[in-house]
Amino acid sequence: MDETTDTSPPQETESLCPVCFRRIKARRICHGDEVFLVKECPDHGSFKTVLWRGKPSMSEWQRPKGPVHPDISYTQIERGCPFDCGLCNAHEQLPCSVLIEVTDRCNLHCPVCFADSGVREIEDPSLERLSWLLERAMAAAGPCNLQLSGGEPTLRDDLPDIIGLARGIGFSFIQVNTNGLRLSKDKDYAVRLKEAGLSSVFLQFDGTDDTIYRALRGRGLLDNKLPAVRNCGEVGLGVILVPTLIKGVNTGNVGDIVRQALAMSPTVRGVHFQPVSYFGRFPVSYGDEGRFTLPELMSAIEDQTAGLMNLNDFSPPGCEHSHCSFHATYMHTSDGGIRLIGAAGGDNCCPLDLSAGGVNKTVDTVSTRWRLPSNTSPLSDCSSLSGERACCGRPQPFARDEGDMDLDLFLREIASRSFTISAMAFQDAENLDLERLRGCCISVVSQDGMLVPFCAYNLTARDGKGLYRRRSRSRQ
Amino acid sequence: MTEAVDVKDTGGWICNRCGLPLTVQKTRLQYFRVIFALDLPACPGCGMILIDEELATGKMAEAEEALEDK
Repeated sequence: MDETTDTSPPQETESLCPVCFRRIKARRICHGDEVFLVKECPDHGSFKTVLWRGKPSMSEWQRPKGPVHPDISYTQIERGCPFDCGLCNAHEQLPCSVLIEVTDRCNLHCPVCFADSGVREIEDPSLERLSWLLERAMAAAGPCNLQLSGGEPTLRDDLPDIIGLARGIGFSFIQVNTNGLRLSKDKDYAVRLKEAGLSSVFLQFDGTDDTIYRALRGRGLLDNKLPAVRNCGEVGLGVILVPTLIKGVNTGNVGDIVRQALAMSPTVRGVHFQPVSYFGRFPVSYGDEGRFTLPELMSAIEDQTAGLMNLNDFSPPGCEHSHCSFHATYMHTSDGGIRLIGAAGGDNCCPLDLSAGGVNKTVDTVSTRWRLPSNTSPLSDCSSLSGERACCGRPQPFARDEGDMDLDLFLREIASRSFTISAMAFQDAENLDLERLRGCCISVVSQDGMLVPFCAYNLTARDGKGLYRRRSRSRQ
Repeated sequence: MTEAVDVKDTGGWICNRCGLPLTVQKTRLQYFRVIFALDLPACPGCGMILIDEELATGKMAEAEEALEDK
């Protein structure tokens, strides 16, 4: 490609060769509204991978955060990033979430699986082993969110015991990442998970059409997904839908996924999109043409929801590296109104401390943060405090609310009726940017008790070899 | 917002700048992208709005916590 059309200076970073995992220099270069990672290995040649397509631009998508290094490192730095993860003390963010794989077994054999599950004969870790691993994670990461993953964690009959164990160690927000097959059929199991202290279910949900599941998961699964959500709702478990997106397979289904999620609200608390990353197990035919970058997804959400959600609603993250994700939080009122409530454009207020002063401080603080709206809101005929929807023609199942909000109603409903749209772009051996990796806040607790950033843990070379994950076979 | 003086004889707040008793008015206050409609004491002359400490440290603080992007 012609690099002379690019007017922005290339940004230097580091990556790995996707063949041999040698650490090599890399550059982020712009061509119009596309950004590519370009790198060269002395042994294996040049590589170029798309990172970003469209608006908002990658340079705009910033939420700067100062590096914070872990206090406890289980490894020493020898070879440098990303070879010494533990986390090493050169890592630049603390974990907000740790993930532990409680089994390698799975009741699906998806063509796309970041963990490449079910092909190794790995015994399930015992409760004693899990206790040791979780204690190590707690010591290094503190009481952050815990993700129970696999394989398929619900294959473990003792998953409620694992949850109880984790609670006892001090983890207070515990989610399970699941395909929902067992939850769709075994409500008693869902009850046991809830009673043990499970907080949330992250449900694999790739689309509203079974052709999508056949492509991504090897079989139709839609008939399981809705009962899984229903059972979770009936036992008091909130659900986040998690679609893996591959361009051309289900990227045209994004709007339908959002509408399906809203229809299942408040049990469904949001959708967390995951554009495909090439690690673990995936059809090797997918290349850059299968990638769906974050700005493309933001636009797709706007286009496919007919503006119910707007591109401008989304913000970069406060925790992980800016280019890893986006999110927006809404309130979904019982009348079908969707109202943006999250900060826009990366606004980042410090926590308000009202305990430290009297009336004057309170007044000053409030007057700084709260303001009079500059214009009268363009109240549509369909928005009102009571939220009546069908006043001007055909009723809409969902409609964007931009009118005034009653404060008491807001406070009553917000806890149970928030709805989040988010997305996370994981990195693989082709597009790995070590600067982003060092800002990672999701750590996997490895089988030997190390904390490893998620993308480093799952990194897979072109021959199927893992950087950290032990593999028993090579890619064919 | 610091201009009011509680005058017990009038039974209510008086705007110190205008000398007018505050009246309860429909006000709109914005936090991030959400505009809340509230009935609050305000001066009919200059528009000064009074937010008492109970409201600020109570419901408004609760709303802020719910809205702040984490």
